[in-house]
Formats: sequence, structure tokens, C-alpha cells
Amino acid sequence: MKRVAALLLVLAALAGAFALAMRVVEVRADIADFLPEPATPEAAFLLQELRSGAATTLLLAGIEGAPAADLARISRSVARAMVESGAFSLVANGSAVVGDEEAAVLFAHRYALSPAATPEAFAEPALRGALEGVLDGLRSSAAPLVRRFAFADPTGAFLAMLRAWAGEARVATENGVWMVDGRALLVAQTRASGLDTESQAQAVATIRQAYDAAAPPPGTRLLVSGPGVFAAEAAATVRADVALVSKLSLVLVGAFLLWRYRSPMMLAVVALPLSVGTLAALLVVGAVFGHVHAAAIGFGITMLGVCDDYPLLLVTNRAPGESPRETARRIWPTLRLAAAAAVAGLTPMLASGFPGLAQLGLFAATGLVGAALATRFLLPPLLPPEGLFVRPLPERLAHLLLRLPARRGPVLVLLAGVAVALALAGGPRMERDLAALSPVPEPVRALDEQLRGQVGAPDVRVVLALRAPDAEGALRAAEATAARLMASGTVAAIDHPARFLPSVATQRIRIAALPDAATVAQRLEAARNGLPFRAAAFQPFLDGIEDARRLPPLTPADLGALPTLAARLSPLLRQEGQGWRALLLPSGIRDMDALRAAAAAVPGLLLVDFKAETGALLDQGIKEALKWGGVGALLVLVLLGAGRGLTGGLRIALSLAGALLLTFAILAALGERIGVFHLTAALLLAGVGMDYALFMSRSGEESTEDAARALGSVISCMVTTLLTFGLLALCATPVLHATGLTVTVGVASAFLLACALAPRRAGTR
Amino acid sequence: MARHGGRFVPPSVPRRAALVLPLAAQAPDPVAAVMARLAAVREVRASFVEDKDLPELDRPLTSRGLLSWRAPDRLEKRTLEPAPELFLVEGDTLTLERPERGIRETLSLDTAPEIRPLVEALRATLAGDLATLRRYHEVTFSGTPQRWRLLLVPLSVRARAAVQRIVLEGEEGFMSTVETQGSDGRSRLVATRLP
Repeated sequence: MKRVAALLLVLAALAGAFALAMRVVEVRADIADFLPEPATPEAAFLLQELRSGAATTLLLAGIEGAPAADLARISRSVARAMVESGAFSLVANGSAVVGDEEAAVLFAHRYALSPAATPEAFAEPALRGALEGVLDGLRSSAAPLVRRFAFADPTGAFLAMLRAWAGEARVATENGVWMVDGRALLVAQTRASGLDTESQAQAVATIRQAYDAAAPPPGTRLLVSGPGVFAAEAAATVRADVALVSKLSLVLVGAFLLWRYRSPMMLAVVALPLSVGTLAALLVVGAVFGHVHAAAIGFGITMLGVCDDYPLLLVTNRAPGESPRETARRIWPTLRLAAAAAVAGLTPMLASGFPGLAQLGLFAATGLVGAALATRFLLPPLLPPEGLFVRPLPERLAHLLLRLPARRGPVLVLLAGVAVALALAGGPRMERDLAALSPVPEPVRALDEQLRGQVGAPDVRVVLALRAPDAEGALRAAEATAARLMASGTVAAIDHPARFLPSVATQRIRIAALPDAATVAQRLEAARNGLPFRAAAFQPFLDGIEDARRLPPLTPADLGALPTLAARLSPLLRQEGQGWRALLLPSGIRDMDALRAAAAAVPGLLLVDFKAETGALLDQGIKEALKWGGVGALLVLVLLGAGRGLTGGLRIALSLAGALLLTFAILAALGERIGVFHLTAALLLAGVGMDYALFMSRSGEESTEDAARALGSVISCMVTTLLTFGLLALCATPVLHATGLTVTVGVASAFLLACALAPRRAGTR
Repeated sequence: MARHGGRFVPPSVPRRAALVLPLAAQAPDPVAAVMARLAAVREVRASFVEDKDLPELDRPLTSRGLLSWRAPDRLEKRTLEPAPELFLVEGDTLTLERPERGIRETLSLDTAPEIRPLVEALRATLAGDLATLRRYHEVTFSGTPQRWRLLLVPLSVRARAAVQRIVLEGEEGFMSTVETQGSDGRSRLVATRLP
């Protein structure tokens, strides 16, 4: 009883330490962590955009479920509170965006900034049309608004510029705010980077608080989407999945252990090395990387099922009359070899260059070592000296399994057949869609897509990027490239930074093209003929042209006083190291190949097709994983050869390779697309399979009793593993599902192969 | 301040005024009488002619159309010539439509503090809602309930920058002219009741 109390005390201490560690260690959910080091400039650009591009700071919000007038009121109230919080560089909800001061600056620069300020607009017929338009506006009820600009800007250069800015949103306005299908929409950009999970969560909290403070009527709903939400949702889903699976598997594994060992103490015995391993893994990964990826934790939790093996092997392998310490000492060489080989298989992942994969490798390796050491040194003193009762296996089953080595021939033929079939089918299909790997739940991604569509910010598929030593160079290059691509006719429109802030050169050209005041005055006089305007009515217009000539051009250095222009420009133009980067976003691509060709003709222009490029990155990632897996396999072979000699090592390697072959063949037959998570799960599976093979073939000279005990221990291991991983396969989170399915299928194959390829015993022939 | 009731309370005797005030409130106050008559009209239609005088123009702009009022809060001004336009206020929403230019805009009066006083000058008067009228304007009455004149001066500085005063004239429960004096110039609208 004292030992049980001690065991439970140690477990309680570990649980407390784990809860503490989860608070201290930062958890992240950045899928870019699972992409390899980029090899091409396109890939480097893509990775950078995924990690810290403008899209990662974008938050979208929708408010629905109330009459339009209420939604508009809430939208305005929320937007105001968001602006006041200072956490956002841009808040837009469709209401008037340009402040008075900024409007004055932009108005003064209208002829330099507006695409409508062409020499034709100042010709006499155009002026006549403009004056008639002004007159019409003055007759209307909106006369006060018209009067505000019309006499200084009858050609409408300023309003045309604002319209062009708003043009890309294409969102309907109702009650003064954006409203689509009974949903008020807001778009915001956080000041904090998309990588800063904490600030992102804070920004989302700010929106929710602002919404609550706006006193929404009952039935109203707030929807928020963006990386901040993604991180939170991903963590929540993984946590919920893991909580459900761990509860269910605890019940099932508990029931099985109770049946097999008839003692509730066995649960605590199994839990101990797992707790030590997981805690060590969490702390070590947290210390090395500064944070732990949510997927690495999900993966680490799944290790619970694998580390189960060590205590089970210890308890079940006890020979009659042996104390647990003696058993531990006796099986230690095998256990050590199993753990060392498993770690050897995982360590190459550390060098793989994917931060995410390196984390998985370190997490698993640390966990395995921790669990093995706990089994050897911590557990035996806590066990009763007489050991634990082990229910013997049903005799028929044991007999059948122990006779399997006699059927070795057909099994080898079967393996060869499967290998040929898989090769003929073109191998397993690879996952090329990054979204499928994301731990973000499907409904959240669907909402994001819907909100993006409604706001008119569709997912950018193709981006053209260029670099220049300075901002002026980048703007000029953007103008030239956009003009060239539009002339090529391959795209319907191109969004680029010079649309908002033309280069100094373009601004100068536009100003220089303005006719002089005397000429304009003369044309105006003619255009006025027959209209009721007084002679001096348009003096502000004539003065404005002369003022425009004297103003210095606007440059990115002036953006501090121009928040709206800055917000429009920032996603498209930015300083990057020593140079400046401009982005061009084509829309309505008519012919991708022609666009590629046209882009290739522009020196230094990078065309990044996000979908294709991500696919290529993932392919590269999988290749890398395979390469490092191969290195790991070699290391394992060397270790096994050293531990078991050449024949023994090869025998175990064959059973492992066969298990992996069968696993991927079955996954392919199930229609699974193989992703990075399947591969890492396969590495883990290799570790488990090796345990089975090692313990099943400790030596050919063992007695049948010993062999039966070894078989019994391996069966216990397999059943507990299946009970945990079988449930994981039912999870929706891709990482958990992939891991669960792979290990479930693999463990069953590995067990059967371990039995079949075990050394033949005298008398079993 | 408002000079309504001036006939009953001579300004030279404030002390007596305080004594008489409760009585005066019961006496027939001409503003209250006009408001009561306006409030009694639930629906009215009229044709209008509006002349706008702008400093930049050497002759006024004239437009014609139809007005319609329906209690408690719907005011429609439908211009028929020279260019069709619909200006509609209902509840908190203002709609402006100019079909020839493809313009249709709605805006919430809550978000337009500089427009609201101008809307309420007409709407609160038509509704006979003196409290709302006084929330946005300083109100000066002259004339008789049979033939009255209201001078409105916006209380908000921002609104006053655009419109300095509005003069409303009418007979009994019908408002027949609206004269607006603003920095944008002057406009005069004359309404003729339709059956």
C-alpha cells in the first residue's frame, strides 16, 4: 500500500509540474513552420508572405442578426473603439474614411495623384461637360457637398481619386457602412505582426469588447476571422480533440489493463514513464525553440500510446521469482537498444531545416529517452517486489502466433507482391494543399473565405513582386510593369502601389502637362458661355492649378500625416532590408501562361503563384523528410547491427521495412494523401515496430515459456497502442487524424510481421 | 431666447412674470396653437417651386416638384424638373436618388450631425413637435396662429457654419414657404397645397 501511495504521489507531482509547464511554455500554430528552407527566390518570398506578409495581419469581422440600422450603429461604434485602441493601423467599415486634415493635403496634390488629371480633362469640350455637371449637382439636394469641391475642382480630379481608391472594395453601403446580405462588414489591420500570437489574440479581444460595449440587441452575432482567430481556434480544436481522445482512450486502455493485470495500480504504472517523457519533451522543446508548436504537442500527446510499451514490457516480462529491479536490469539492454534506435530514427529530423519538423523530432526523442529512463530507474522501486499478476494469453491464440514463423515464405511473397502493386500504382499520393495541413478547423476557414469574398479581398493567388534600391525606384518599376502587363492583355486589372502614390517622376509629368492658368482661363471663359456661372466663380480652380505647380511631390516620407493613404499603400509597398519591395496583384487573369511569359520579359520581376508554389514547397518538404528518414534508417541499421549482429539486425530491419510498406500501401488503398504528418507518424511507427521485433526476437534459444511471455508483453503493448491511436484516427484535426491512422495501420502490420519474422524455435516447426 | 408668449408677459416686469407664468401656460400660446394645428395634419401633399440663389451664379436655379408629408416622420421631396430627384427622410434614414446620374445613397441621420438640424427644421415643424425643434434650433415666433412665421437659428456651431437661419411661414396647419439663408447662398421654396 505504501508503494501505491508513493507511486500516486510521484504521479500527482508530475501532473502538477505538467500543468505548470503548459502555462510557462508558449504554444504556436504557424503552419509555415512545417515548410522547408526555401531554395528559390519565389519560395523565399512565399514563405516570408506566409509568415509575416500583410495578409497575416488582416482581421475581418461581420456583424449579423439584427435590423440594418442596428448593425450600422454597432459597426460604427466598434470601428470607433478599434481606432481608439491604437492596436490597428487600419480600420475600415465603409463609412467616410479620410479625415479633414488628410483630405486637405490630398486635395492640394490632386493633380499629381489623380489618374483623371490628364491634359484632355482641361480641353474646352471636357470643361464644358464639367461645368454642366457642376450646375446639375448644384440643383440637387446635395448642393452643399457639390459646392464644397466643385469650384476649386470642376474636373473632379479629387473625387475620381477617392472613387478609384474605394473601387477595389466593391462593397455595397447601407446606412453608411458596408453591408452584404444582412451582415455589416469591418476590415482591420493590426499593428502587431501576424507572428505575434499574443498581440493577435489581444486584437481579437479588443474587437469583441468593442462589440459587447456597443450593446448589441439579443440575437446579434459577431464573427471574426484572421490569423489571430486562427491561432486561438487551432489551439482550441487540438485541445478539444486531445481532451476527448484522452478521456475515451483512458477508459478503454484502463479497462484492458484491468482485465489483463487485474490491478488498478497498473494504470498508474503505465502513466508514470509517459508523464516523465511528456514533461521532459515539453520543457526541452520549449527551452530550445522558445515555443512549442501546437502540432508538436498534438504529436507528443500521441506518444503517450507508444511509451506505454516500456512499463508494460517491464511488468509482463518478469520471470517467476524475479524482482522488478532484476527484470529491469535483465531487459535493459533490449529496452536501451529499442529506445536508442528509435531516437536515432528521429534525430535526423532535427537537422531537416523545418522548424516544425525539428520540434517534432526533438519532442519525440526527448519523450522516448525520458520514458525509457523512468522505466529503468524510477519505476522498479515503486513496484511491489513480488511483481504484478499477469493474466495468461488464451492458449490457442498464443500457439497460433508462435507458429507464425513457419509461414515465413508466404508472408515474404505477400510483401513482395504489395511492393510491386504499390510501385505499379505510382506510389502513394502526396498532399499538395497547405490548407489541408492547417490545424484550423474547416468551418473557421470557410467563414474566412466567405468574409474575404464579401469584403472584396479574394484570396490572392498570383503576386508579382519586384525590388528596387529606393521607394521611388520601386514605384517607377511598378508603374512601368503594370502598364506593360496591362498592354499585354493577359489580365483585366492590376492593383499596385503607384495607383495610390504615383512615383515622383509621374507626379512631375502630370503637373508639367497641366495647361497654364491663362490658357485654362481662356477655355473656361468659352465653356461658361450660356451657363449661369459668374466670371469669378472658378477663380479657386485657376489658383489651384498654379498652387499645384509649386507643391513638392508626395513621397513615402510624407505618409505620417496621411493615415488613409498609408494604410492603402502599406500592403503593396514596404522597406525590406536595404531596398524597397513593391507588390502587384493582378486580377481577372485571362491566360496564366501568357502572363508568365509577359512577366518573364520584365527583368527582376518575380511571379509567385501561391498555390503552385506552396505545392512545390510541400513536395520539397516531403522529399526532405524522406531524405532525413533515410538517414535515420541507416543510423538505426547501424545500431541494430551493433546490438544484434548482422543477421539479427537485418531480420529486424526487414520486419520494420515490411510494416512501413504495408502501412503506406493500406493508406494509399484508403485514398489518403500522404503529408508531412503521415511521414513523421511513420517514423514513430518505426520506433514502435522495432520494440516489437526486438522483444519478439531477443534470442532464438529462449524457452517457449519465455517466448510466450515476450509475446504476451508485446500483445499488451499493441492493444494499448491500438486503443489510443485507433481513436486518434477519428479526429478531424489533420495532424491527429494522420498520425492516428498511420500508427494504427502500422502497428497491426508491425506486430504480425514481428511474429512472422521472429527466429524459428525448435519444436514450432 | 424665444419670445413666444411675449404678449402676455411684458418684459419690463419680471417679478410679475414669475407669478403669471403658470397662468400664461394655460392661456392660448400661439406657438403651441400652431404646433397643435400642424400636429393635427396626419398627411398632406403639395407642389413646390424652389429658387436657389448661389453667389457663384448670376441667376437663380429653379426647380419644381411634389412634396408629401406623412406623420409621424416621413417627408418626401420629389423634384420633377429640370432633373428628377428623390429626397426622402423616414425615421433615421435619409435617401437621395438621382436616377439620371445613377446615384442612390442612404445615410443615417445619427451619423450626420450637420444634416440633422436641417432635416428636423422641416420635419419637427410638420410633426408639430416643438421639443425636437428646440433641441436643434433657437425658435422665434411672430404673427398669429392663422398666419404665422417661425425664425429658426441652428444651435450647433457646425450646422450654423453652413446654414445661418431658416424662416418658415404658413397659414393654420399648412407650411407654405421655406427660406434658407446659408453660406452657400439663399433658397426659397413655395408650396401649394394639393387636394
